[in-house]
Amino acid sequence: MSALRYALREAIASLWRRRSASVFSVAAIGLAIVVLGGLLLVTFNVDRVVAEWSSAAELSVFLSDEVTDDERLAVETLIDGSAVALDRERVSKAQALERFRRDFAELAVLVESPEGNPFPESIELRLRPDVEGGAEVEVLAGALSNAPGVSDVRYDRQWLARVTALLTAFRRVGFGLVFVMMAAAAFTVAAVVRLALHDRRDELEIMQLVGSPYVYIRGPFVAEGVIQGGAGAAAALLVLWSGFAVAVSWWGSDLAAIGSVEGLRFLPPGTCAVLAVGGMTVGGVGGFAATRVVS
Amino acid sequence: MTTGASNALIEMRHLSKLYSRGLYALRDLSLTVFKGEFVFLAGSSGAGKSTLLRLLLMQERPSEGELIVNGYNLAKLKRSEIQEYRRGIGFVFQDFKLVPSRTVLENISFVPEVQGVPLSQQRRRAFQVLKGVGLQHRMNAYPGELSGGEQQRIAIARALVNAPALILADEPTGNLDPDLSLEVMNLFREINAGGTTVLVATHDRELIRLVGRRTVTLGHGRIVEVA
Repeated sequence: MSALRYALREAIASLWRRRSASVFSVAAIGLAIVVLGGLLLVTFNVDRVVAEWSSAAELSVFLSDEVTDDERLAVETLIDGSAVALDRERVSKAQALERFRRDFAELAVLVESPEGNPFPESIELRLRPDVEGGAEVEVLAGALSNAPGVSDVRYDRQWLARVTALLTAFRRVGFGLVFVMMAAAAFTVAAVVRLALHDRRDELEIMQLVGSPYVYIRGPFVAEGVIQGGAGAAAALLVLWSGFAVAVSWWGSDLAAIGSVEGLRFLPPGTCAVLAVGGMTVGGVGGFAATRVVS
Repeated sequence: MTTGASNALIEMRHLSKLYSRGLYALRDLSLTVFKGEFVFLAGSSGAGKSTLLRLLLMQERPSEGELIVNGYNLAKLKRSEIQEYRRGIGFVFQDFKLVPSRTVLENISFVPEVQGVPLSQQRRRAFQVLKGVGLQHRMNAYPGELSGGEQQRIAIARALVNAPALILADEPTGNLDPDLSLEVMNLFREINAGGTTVLVATHDRELIRLVGRRTVTLGHGRIVEVA
Protein backbone atom coordinates (compact mmCIF):
# COMPACT_ATOMS: atom_id res chain seq x y z
CA MET A 1 0.00 0.00 0.00
CA SER A 2 2.85 2.37 0.79
CA ALA A 3 4.33 1.75 -2.68
CA LEU A 4 0.97 2.55 -4.28
CA ARG A 5 0.54 5.65 -2.14
CA TYR A 6 4.06 6.79 -3.00
CA ALA A 7 3.53 6.09 -6.74
CA LEU A 8 0.28 8.03 -6.87
CA ARG A 9 1.63 10.97 -4.90
CA GLU A 10 4.76 11.28 -7.03
CA ALA A 11 2.79 10.75 -10.27
CA ILE A 12 0.29 13.49 -9.45
CA ALA A 13 3.06 15.90 -8.45
CA SER A 14 4.99 15.11 -11.63
CA LEU A 15 1.92 15.54 -13.85
CA TRP A 16 1.20 18.87 -12.23
CA ARG A 17 4.80 20.03 -12.68
CA ARG A 18 4.66 19.22 -16.41
CA ARG A 19 0.97 19.85 -16.97
CA SER A 20 1.48 21.43 -20.41
CA ALA A 21 3.22 18.33 -21.76
CA SER A 22 0.74 16.06 -20.00
CA VAL A 23 -2.13 17.68 -21.91
CA PHE A 24 -0.66 16.27 -25.15
CA SER A 25 -0.65 12.68 -23.96
CA VAL A 26 -4.10 13.02 -22.38
CA ALA A 27 -5.35 14.48 -25.67
CA ALA A 28 -3.71 11.71 -27.72
CA ILE A 29 -5.34 9.00 -25.63
CA GLY A 30 -8.61 10.91 -25.56
CA LEU A 31 -8.64 11.27 -29.34
CA ALA A 32 -7.96 7.57 -29.85
CA ILE A 33 -10.79 6.67 -27.47
CA VAL A 34 -13.18 9.17 -29.08
CA VAL A 35 -12.56 7.43 -32.42
CA LEU A 36 -12.92 3.96 -30.89
CA GLY A 37 -15.95 4.97 -28.83
CA GLY A 38 -17.54 6.71 -31.83
CA LEU A 39 -17.00 3.61 -33.91
CA LEU A 40 -18.55 1.43 -31.22
CA LEU A 41 -21.42 3.87 -30.75
CA VAL A 42 -22.26 3.91 -34.46
CA THR A 43 -21.93 0.17 -34.95
CA PHE A 44 -23.82 -0.53 -31.73
CA ASN A 45 -26.82 1.48 -32.94
CA VAL A 46 -26.59 0.31 -36.55
CA ASP A 47 -26.45 -3.29 -35.31
CA ARG A 48 -29.65 -2.71 -33.39
CA VAL A 49 -31.33 -1.23 -36.47
CA VAL A 50 -30.14 -4.07 -38.68
CA ALA A 51 -31.38 -6.59 -36.13
CA GLU A 52 -34.72 -4.83 -36.09
CA TRP A 53 -34.93 -4.81 -39.85
CA SER A 54 -33.90 -8.43 -40.01
CA SER A 55 -36.84 -9.41 -37.87
CA ALA A 56 -39.24 -7.18 -39.85
CA ALA A 57 -40.81 -7.84 -43.26
CA GLU A 58 -38.11 -9.17 -45.47
CA LEU A 59 -39.72 -9.59 -48.85
CA SER A 60 -41.89 -6.90 -50.41
CA VAL A 61 -43.90 -7.38 -53.58
CA PHE A 62 -44.90 -4.10 -55.19
CA LEU A 63 -47.96 -4.26 -57.41
CA SER A 64 -48.55 -2.04 -60.42
CA ASP A 65 -51.32 0.54 -60.27
CA GLU A 66 -53.15 -1.39 -62.98
CA VAL A 67 -53.15 -4.71 -61.15
CA THR A 68 -56.40 -6.64 -61.45
CA ASP A 69 -58.09 -8.62 -58.69
CA ASP A 70 -57.26 -11.87 -60.49
CA GLU A 71 -53.60 -10.92 -60.77
CA ARG A 72 -53.49 -9.96 -57.10
CA LEU A 73 -55.12 -13.26 -56.16
CA ALA A 74 -52.62 -15.15 -58.34
CA VAL A 75 -49.73 -13.44 -56.58
CA GLU A 76 -51.15 -14.28 -53.15
CA THR A 77 -51.72 -17.87 -54.21
CA LEU A 78 -48.11 -18.09 -55.39
CA ILE A 79 -46.91 -16.79 -52.02
CA ASP A 80 -49.11 -19.11 -49.97
CA GLY A 81 -48.12 -22.06 -52.12
CA SER A 82 -44.41 -21.55 -51.58
CA ALA A 83 -44.66 -22.08 -47.77
CA VAL A 84 -41.71 -19.79 -47.09
CA ALA A 85 -43.74 -17.01 -45.49
CA LEU A 86 -44.81 -16.97 -41.86
CA ASP A 87 -47.45 -14.42 -42.75
CA ARG A 88 -48.20 -11.81 -45.32
CA GLU A 89 -49.78 -8.36 -45.13
CA ARG A 90 -51.37 -6.39 -47.92
CA VAL A 91 -50.49 -2.68 -47.78
CA SER A 92 -52.77 -0.52 -49.87
CA LYS A 93 -51.67 2.66 -51.59
CA ALA A 94 -53.49 4.67 -48.93
CA GLN A 95 -51.81 2.73 -46.12
CA ALA A 96 -48.39 3.21 -47.71
CA LEU A 97 -48.99 6.95 -47.96
CA GLU A 98 -50.19 7.09 -44.37
CA ARG A 99 -47.17 5.15 -43.20
CA PHE A 100 -44.84 7.58 -44.99
CA ARG A 101 -46.61 10.58 -43.53
CA ARG A 102 -46.30 9.10 -40.04
CA ASP A 103 -42.62 8.13 -40.32
CA PHE A 104 -41.44 11.19 -42.22
CA ALA A 105 -43.79 13.97 -41.11
CA GLU A 106 -41.53 16.77 -42.29
CA LEU A 107 -41.26 15.21 -45.76
CA ALA A 108 -45.00 14.73 -46.16
CA VAL A 109 -45.28 17.87 -48.27
CA LEU A 110 -43.18 16.21 -50.96
CA VAL A 111 -45.82 13.59 -51.68
CA GLU A 112 -48.69 16.06 -51.99
CA SER A 113 -48.81 16.14 -55.80
CA PRO A 114 -51.65 16.72 -58.28
CA GLU A 115 -50.94 13.28 -59.78
CA GLY A 116 -52.20 11.69 -56.57
CA ASN A 117 -50.68 9.03 -54.29
CA PRO A 118 -47.25 8.01 -55.65
CA PHE A 119 -46.88 4.93 -53.44
CA PRO A 120 -47.66 1.53 -54.94
CA GLU A 121 -49.79 -1.15 -53.34
CA SER A 122 -47.65 -3.94 -51.91
CA ILE A 123 -47.66 -7.28 -50.17
CA GLU A 124 -45.11 -7.67 -47.34
CA LEU A 125 -43.94 -11.11 -46.37
CA ARG A 126 -42.39 -12.15 -43.07
CA LEU A 127 -40.17 -15.13 -43.88
CA ARG A 128 -39.69 -18.28 -41.88
CA PRO A 129 -36.34 -18.00 -40.06
CA ASP A 130 -35.17 -21.36 -41.41
CA VAL A 131 -35.52 -20.25 -45.05
CA GLU A 132 -34.07 -16.73 -44.73
CA GLY A 133 -31.34 -16.26 -47.29
CA GLY A 134 -32.07 -19.66 -48.82
CA ALA A 135 -32.63 -20.73 -52.41
CA GLU A 136 -36.38 -21.22 -51.87
CA VAL A 137 -36.78 -17.51 -51.23
CA GLU A 138 -34.71 -16.66 -54.28
CA VAL A 139 -36.96 -18.94 -56.40
CA LEU A 140 -40.10 -17.31 -55.01
CA ALA A 141 -38.68 -13.79 -55.54
CA GLY A 142 -37.88 -14.72 -59.17
CA ALA A 143 -41.35 -16.16 -59.76
CA LEU A 144 -43.02 -13.11 -58.22
CA SER A 145 -40.93 -10.72 -60.36
CA ASN A 146 -42.31 -12.39 -63.49
CA ALA A 147 -45.90 -12.57 -62.26
CA PRO A 148 -48.44 -10.31 -64.05
CA GLY A 149 -49.38 -7.19 -62.06
CA VAL A 150 -46.06 -7.11 -60.14
CA SER A 151 -43.92 -4.01 -60.73
CA ASP A 152 -41.03 -4.85 -58.40
CA VAL A 153 -39.83 -7.30 -55.74
CA ARG A 154 -37.50 -6.25 -52.94
CA TYR A 155 -35.83 -8.98 -51.00
CA ASP A 156 -34.52 -7.18 -47.88
CA ARG A 157 -31.95 -9.84 -47.05
CA GLN A 158 -29.92 -8.90 -50.08
CA TRP A 159 -29.40 -5.32 -49.08
CA LEU A 160 -29.24 -6.21 -45.38
CA ALA A 161 -26.37 -8.50 -46.32
CA ARG A 162 -24.77 -5.57 -48.14
CA VAL A 163 -25.31 -3.32 -45.08
CA THR A 164 -23.79 -5.98 -42.83
CA ALA A 165 -20.79 -6.39 -45.18
CA LEU A 166 -20.35 -2.61 -45.26
CA LEU A 167 -20.58 -2.48 -41.49
CA THR A 168 -17.94 -5.22 -41.17
CA ALA A 169 -15.60 -3.34 -43.53
CA PHE A 170 -16.26 -0.12 -41.59
CA ARG A 171 -15.40 -1.93 -38.34
CA ARG A 172 -12.15 -3.34 -39.76
CA VAL A 173 -10.96 -0.02 -41.10
CA GLY A 174 -12.05 1.70 -37.89
CA PHE A 175 -10.33 -0.79 -35.60
CA GLY A 176 -7.19 -0.57 -37.71
CA LEU A 177 -7.23 3.20 -37.36
CA VAL A 178 -7.87 2.92 -33.62
CA PHE A 179 -4.96 0.48 -33.24
CA VAL A 180 -2.62 2.97 -34.93
CA MET A 181 -3.98 5.82 -32.80
CA MET A 182 -3.63 3.80 -29.59
CA ALA A 183 -0.02 2.97 -30.46
CA ALA A 184 0.62 6.67 -31.17
CA ALA A 185 -1.00 7.56 -27.84
CA ALA A 186 1.21 5.06 -26.00
CA PHE A 187 4.29 6.56 -27.68
CA THR A 188 3.15 10.04 -26.67
CA VAL A 189 2.71 8.93 -23.06
CA ALA A 190 6.13 7.28 -23.15
CA ALA A 191 7.67 10.51 -24.45
CA VAL A 192 6.04 12.57 -21.72
CA VAL A 193 7.05 10.07 -19.04
CA ARG A 194 10.63 10.15 -20.37
CA LEU A 195 10.62 13.89 -19.69
CA ALA A 196 9.67 13.11 -16.11
CA LEU A 197 12.43 10.49 -15.95
CA HIS A 198 14.91 13.08 -17.17
CA ASP A 199 13.68 15.64 -14.62
CA ARG A 200 14.12 13.14 -11.81
CA ARG A 201 17.26 11.35 -12.99
CA ASP A 202 19.21 12.35 -9.84
CA GLU A 203 16.48 11.02 -7.57
CA LEU A 204 16.27 7.84 -9.62
CA GLU A 205 20.00 7.28 -9.38
CA ILE A 206 19.82 7.68 -5.61
CA MET A 207 16.82 5.37 -5.43
CA GLN A 208 18.71 2.72 -7.34
CA LEU A 209 21.82 3.09 -5.21
CA VAL A 210 19.96 2.88 -1.90
CA GLY A 211 18.32 -0.37 -2.99
CA SER A 212 14.83 0.94 -3.50
CA PRO A 213 12.54 -1.83 -4.81
CA TYR A 214 11.80 -1.48 -8.54
CA VAL A 215 8.12 -0.98 -7.76
CA TYR A 216 9.08 2.30 -6.06
CA ILE A 217 11.38 3.32 -8.90
CA ARG A 218 9.07 2.49 -11.79
CA GLY A 219 5.72 2.75 -10.02
CA PRO A 220 5.35 6.55 -10.21
CA PHE A 221 5.98 6.56 -13.96
CA VAL A 222 3.57 3.72 -14.66
CA ALA A 223 1.02 5.47 -12.41
CA GLU A 224 1.63 8.66 -14.38
CA GLY A 225 0.77 6.82 -17.60
CA VAL A 226 -2.30 5.19 -16.03
CA ILE A 227 -3.56 8.55 -14.76
CA GLN A 228 -3.02 10.16 -18.17
CA GLY A 229 -4.84 7.25 -19.81
CA GLY A 230 -7.70 7.45 -17.34
CA ALA A 231 -8.01 11.21 -17.78
CA GLY A 232 -7.94 10.79 -21.57
CA ALA A 233 -10.61 8.09 -21.42
CA ALA A 234 -12.81 10.14 -19.08
CA ALA A 235 -12.51 13.18 -21.35
CA ALA A 236 -13.25 11.03 -24.41
CA LEU A 237 -16.36 9.52 -22.82
CA LEU A 238 -17.55 13.00 -21.87
CA VAL A 239 -17.03 14.23 -25.44
CA LEU A 240 -18.80 11.15 -26.83
CA TRP A 241 -21.71 11.52 -24.45
CA SER A 242 -22.04 15.24 -25.21
CA GLY A 243 -21.86 14.57 -28.95
CA PHE A 244 -24.42 11.81 -28.59
CA ALA A 245 -26.76 14.05 -26.58
CA VAL A 246 -26.50 16.78 -29.23
CA ALA A 247 -27.07 14.29 -32.07
CA VAL A 248 -30.12 12.83 -30.31
CA SER A 249 -31.61 16.26 -29.68
CA TRP A 250 -31.08 17.31 -33.30
CA TRP A 251 -31.76 14.14 -35.32
CA GLY A 252 -32.88 11.58 -32.77
CA SER A 253 -36.50 11.25 -33.88
CA ASP A 254 -35.58 11.04 -37.57
CA LEU A 255 -32.90 8.45 -37.00
CA ALA A 256 -35.13 6.46 -34.70
CA ALA A 257 -37.89 6.53 -37.34
CA ILE A 258 -35.53 5.26 -40.04
CA GLY A 259 -34.36 2.56 -37.72
CA SER A 260 -37.86 1.85 -36.48
CA VAL A 261 -36.40 1.14 -33.05
CA GLU A 262 -37.33 2.83 -29.80
CA GLY A 263 -34.53 5.35 -30.01
CA LEU A 264 -30.77 5.75 -30.16
CA ARG A 265 -28.82 4.50 -27.18
CA PHE A 266 -25.46 5.47 -25.72
CA LEU A 267 -22.80 2.82 -25.15
CA PRO A 268 -23.65 0.33 -22.40
CA PRO A 269 -21.90 0.93 -19.01
CA GLY A 270 -19.78 -2.19 -19.51
CA THR A 271 -18.40 -0.86 -22.80
CA CYS A 272 -17.67 2.53 -21.17
CA ALA A 273 -15.80 0.72 -18.40
CA VAL A 274 -13.80 -1.27 -20.97
CA LEU A 275 -12.89 1.98 -22.77
CA ALA A 276 -11.77 3.57 -19.50
CA VAL A 277 -9.69 0.54 -18.53
CA GLY A 278 -8.33 0.42 -22.10
CA GLY A 279 -7.20 4.04 -21.87
CA MET A 280 -5.51 3.40 -18.53
CA THR A 281 -3.85 0.27 -19.92
CA VAL A 282 -2.48 2.14 -22.96
CA GLY A 283 -1.18 4.88 -20.63
CA GLY A 284 0.31 2.34 -18.23
CA VAL A 285 2.03 0.48 -21.08
CA GLY A 286 3.47 3.78 -22.33
CA GLY A 287 4.67 4.64 -18.83
CA PHE A 288 6.19 1.20 -18.29
CA ALA A 289 7.90 1.27 -21.68
CA ALA A 290 9.51 4.59 -20.79
CA THR A 291 10.97 3.11 -17.60
CA ARG A 292 12.77 0.29 -19.40
CA VAL A 293 15.91 2.43 -19.21
CA VAL A 294 15.78 2.10 -15.42
CA SER A 295 17.56 -1.06 -14.34
CA MET B 1 23.89 -15.27 -1.01
CA THR B 2 27.39 -16.70 -0.48
CA THR B 3 29.22 -16.46 2.78
CA GLY B 4 32.92 -15.64 2.69
CA ALA B 5 35.41 -15.67 5.57
CA SER B 6 33.57 -15.13 8.83
CA ASN B 7 35.04 -11.73 9.74
CA ALA B 8 35.63 -10.47 6.18
CA LEU B 9 33.16 -7.94 4.82
CA ILE B 10 34.76 -7.54 1.37
CA GLU B 11 36.70 -10.31 -0.32
CA MET B 12 38.30 -9.93 -3.75
CA ARG B 13 39.94 -12.92 -5.41
CA HIS B 14 41.73 -12.32 -8.71
CA LEU B 15 39.16 -9.66 -9.50
CA SER B 16 39.35 -8.05 -12.95
CA LYS B 17 37.21 -5.66 -14.91
CA LEU B 18 37.68 -5.75 -18.65
CA TYR B 19 36.04 -3.27 -20.98
CA SER B 20 35.00 -4.10 -24.51
CA ARG B 21 38.06 -2.56 -26.18
CA GLY B 22 40.29 -5.04 -24.37
CA LEU B 23 41.22 -2.49 -21.73
CA TYR B 24 41.58 -3.73 -18.16
CA ALA B 25 40.30 -1.12 -15.66
CA LEU B 26 41.10 -3.53 -12.82
CA ARG B 27 43.43 -6.52 -13.07
CA ASP B 28 43.84 -9.45 -10.71
CA LEU B 29 42.96 -7.71 -7.43
CA SER B 30 43.01 -9.86 -4.31
CA LEU B 31 42.15 -8.08 -1.09
CA THR B 32 40.18 -8.59 2.10
CA VAL B 33 38.51 -5.82 4.09
CA PHE B 34 37.42 -6.97 7.54
CA LYS B 35 34.30 -6.03 9.42
CA GLY B 36 34.77 -2.82 11.38
CA GLU B 37 37.81 -1.76 9.33
CA PHE B 38 38.50 1.73 7.94
CA VAL B 39 40.36 1.46 4.65
CA PHE B 40 41.55 4.10 2.23
CA LEU B 41 41.63 3.35 -1.46
CA ALA B 42 44.31 5.61 -2.89
CA GLY B 43 45.70 6.28 -6.32
CA SER B 44 45.82 8.88 -9.01
CA SER B 45 43.07 9.51 -11.56
CA GLY B 46 42.54 6.45 -13.78
CA ALA B 47 44.06 4.07 -11.23
CA GLY B 48 40.77 2.14 -10.95
CA LYS B 49 39.33 3.47 -7.67
CA SER B 50 35.99 4.52 -9.13
CA THR B 51 35.70 1.32 -11.16
CA LEU B 52 36.17 -0.71 -8.01
CA LEU B 53 33.50 1.35 -6.22
CA ARG B 54 31.13 0.85 -9.18
CA LEU B 55 31.67 -2.90 -8.84
CA LEU B 56 31.02 -2.69 -5.12
CA LEU B 57 27.81 -0.75 -5.76
CA MET B 58 26.81 -3.29 -8.44
CA GLN B 59 26.65 -0.58 -11.08
CA GLU B 60 28.87 -2.92 -13.06
CA ARG B 61 29.73 -6.60 -12.82
CA PRO B 62 33.17 -8.13 -12.49
CA SER B 63 34.62 -9.64 -15.68
CA GLU B 64 36.81 -12.20 -13.93
CA GLY B 65 37.42 -13.40 -10.39
CA GLU B 66 35.27 -13.22 -7.29
CA LEU B 67 33.93 -10.29 -5.34
CA ILE B 68 32.10 -11.20 -2.16
CA VAL B 69 30.57 -8.33 -0.16
CA ASN B 70 28.53 -8.67 3.00
CA GLY B 71 27.92 -12.32 2.09
CA TYR B 72 26.83 -11.66 -1.51
CA ASN B 73 28.86 -13.02 -4.43
CA LEU B 74 28.51 -10.06 -6.78
CA ALA B 75 29.60 -11.93 -9.89
CA LYS B 76 26.64 -14.26 -9.50
CA LEU B 77 24.10 -11.86 -8.00
CA LYS B 78 20.72 -12.09 -9.69
CA ARG B 79 19.13 -8.89 -10.93
CA SER B 80 16.30 -9.32 -8.42
CA GLU B 81 18.86 -9.45 -5.57
CA ILE B 82 20.77 -6.27 -6.48
CA GLN B 83 18.44 -3.88 -4.67
CA GLU B 84 18.37 -6.09 -1.58
CA TYR B 85 22.20 -6.15 -1.58
CA ARG B 86 22.42 -2.36 -1.95
CA ARG B 87 20.22 -1.83 1.10
CA GLY B 88 23.13 -3.05 3.22
CA ILE B 89 25.48 -0.40 1.85
CA GLY B 90 25.68 3.36 2.35
CA PHE B 91 27.35 5.53 -0.27
CA VAL B 92 28.81 9.03 -0.30
CA PHE B 93 29.88 10.85 -3.47
CA GLN B 94 32.06 13.82 -4.19
CA ASP B 95 29.10 15.77 -5.64
CA PHE B 96 26.84 14.88 -2.67
CA LYS B 97 23.92 13.79 -4.92
CA LEU B 98 21.27 15.49 -2.81
CA VAL B 99 17.83 16.21 -4.31
CA PRO B 100 17.60 20.02 -4.48
CA SER B 101 13.78 20.09 -4.31
CA ARG B 102 13.68 18.22 -0.99
CA THR B 103 14.56 19.56 2.43
CA VAL B 104 17.46 18.15 4.42
CA LEU B 105 15.17 15.90 6.46
CA GLU B 106 13.30 14.79 3.32
CA ASN B 107 16.57 13.98 1.56
CA ILE B 108 17.37 11.57 4.36
CA SER B 109 13.88 10.18 5.02
CA PHE B 110 13.56 9.65 1.26
CA VAL B 111 15.81 6.57 1.60
CA PRO B 112 13.64 4.61 4.07
CA GLU B 113 10.54 5.93 2.28
CA VAL B 114 11.51 4.41 -1.08
CA GLN B 115 12.45 1.19 0.67
CA GLY B 116 8.92 0.82 1.99
CA VAL B 117 9.73 1.57 5.63
CA PRO B 118 6.56 2.54 7.54
CA LEU B 119 5.89 6.28 7.63
CA SER B 120 6.18 6.50 11.42
CA GLN B 121 9.77 5.23 11.33
CA GLN B 122 10.99 7.24 8.32
CA ARG B 123 11.26 10.66 9.96
CA ARG B 124 12.37 9.31 13.32
CA ARG B 125 15.30 7.45 11.75
CA ALA B 126 16.15 10.43 9.55
CA PHE B 127 16.17 12.81 12.52
CA GLN B 128 18.36 10.45 14.56
CA VAL B 129 21.13 10.33 11.92
CA LEU B 130 20.80 14.06 11.27
CA LYS B 131 21.40 14.59 14.95
CA GLY B 132 24.38 12.25 14.68
CA VAL B 133 26.06 14.54 12.13
CA GLY B 134 25.13 17.64 14.14
CA LEU B 135 22.81 19.26 11.62
CA GLN B 136 19.41 18.76 13.23
CA HIS B 137 18.93 22.54 13.33
CA ARG B 138 19.08 22.64 9.49
CA MET B 139 16.45 19.93 8.97
CA ASN B 140 14.05 22.24 7.10
CA ALA B 141 16.71 23.87 4.91
CA TYR B 142 17.18 22.98 1.25
CA PRO B 143 20.57 21.69 -0.01
CA GLY B 144 21.14 24.92 -1.93
CA GLU B 145 21.10 26.84 1.37
CA LEU B 146 23.93 24.76 2.89
CA SER B 147 27.71 24.96 2.62
CA GLY B 148 29.66 22.19 0.86
CA GLY B 149 30.72 20.69 4.19
CA GLU B 150 27.15 20.70 5.48
CA GLN B 151 25.89 19.11 2.26
CA GLN B 152 28.47 16.33 2.56
CA ARG B 153 27.44 15.73 6.17
CA ILE B 154 23.84 15.42 4.99
CA ALA B 155 24.98 12.93 2.34
CA ILE B 156 26.76 10.96 5.08
CA ALA B 157 23.66 11.06 7.26
CA ARG B 158 21.67 9.70 4.32
CA ALA B 159 24.22 6.91 3.89
CA LEU B 160 23.82 6.02 7.59
CA VAL B 161 20.04 6.04 7.77
CA ASN B 162 19.78 2.31 6.98
CA ALA B 163 22.46 1.44 9.56
CA PRO B 164 24.53 -0.21 6.79
CA ALA B 165 27.31 -2.70 7.35
CA LEU B 166 29.51 -0.83 4.86
CA ILE B 167 29.96 2.81 3.87
CA LEU B 168 31.53 3.49 0.47
CA ALA B 169 32.78 7.01 -0.21
CA ASP B 170 34.12 8.18 -3.56
CA GLU B 171 36.34 11.27 -3.15
CA PRO B 172 34.04 12.58 -0.38
CA THR B 173 36.29 15.58 0.28
CA GLY B 174 37.00 16.39 -3.36
CA ASN B 175 34.85 19.53 -3.27
CA LEU B 176 35.85 20.66 0.23
CA ASP B 177 38.64 22.80 1.65
CA PRO B 178 41.26 21.12 3.93
CA ASP B 179 39.55 22.04 7.24
CA LEU B 180 36.17 20.77 6.10
CA SER B 181 37.84 17.68 4.61
CA LEU B 182 39.31 16.80 7.99
CA GLU B 183 35.97 17.46 9.66
CA VAL B 184 34.27 15.02 7.25
CA MET B 185 37.01 12.44 7.82
CA ASN B 186 36.54 12.76 11.58
CA LEU B 187 32.88 12.02 11.03
CA PHE B 188 33.83 8.86 9.12
CA ARG B 189 36.12 7.91 11.99
CA GLU B 190 33.25 8.30 14.48
CA ILE B 191 31.01 6.17 12.26
CA ASN B 192 33.74 3.55 12.02
CA ALA B 193 34.17 3.61 15.79
CA GLY B 194 30.52 2.59 16.01
CA GLY B 195 31.37 -0.64 14.14
CA THR B 196 30.56 0.29 10.55
CA THR B 197 33.12 -0.68 7.93
CA VAL B 198 34.26 2.34 5.92
CA LEU B 199 35.99 2.33 2.53
CA VAL B 200 37.06 5.76 1.29
CA ALA B 201 38.50 6.36 -2.17
CA THR B 202 40.67 9.46 -2.33
CA HIS B 203 43.76 10.80 -4.06
CA ASP B 204 44.46 13.16 -1.13
CA ARG B 205 47.68 11.74 0.38
CA GLU B 206 47.83 14.42 3.07
CA LEU B 207 44.39 13.50 4.35
CA ILE B 208 45.33 9.82 4.41
CA ARG B 209 48.44 10.70 6.41
CA LEU B 210 46.42 12.75 8.92
CA VAL B 211 43.78 10.05 9.46
CA GLY B 212 46.31 7.24 9.41
CA ARG B 213 44.47 4.04 8.48
CA ARG B 214 45.18 1.03 6.27
CA THR B 215 45.67 2.24 2.72
CA VAL B 216 45.39 0.22 -0.48
CA THR B 217 47.02 2.03 -3.39
CA LEU B 218 45.95 1.26 -6.95
CA GLY B 219 47.92 2.02 -10.08
CA HIS B 220 46.85 1.16 -13.61
CA GLY B 221 44.15 -1.16 -12.25
CA ARG B 222 46.46 -3.18 -10.01
CA ILE B 223 47.20 -3.09 -6.30
CA VAL B 224 50.62 -1.51 -6.05
CA GLU B 225 50.85 -1.08 -2.28
CA VAL B 226 49.02 -2.01 0.93
CA ALA B 227 50.23 0.03 3.90
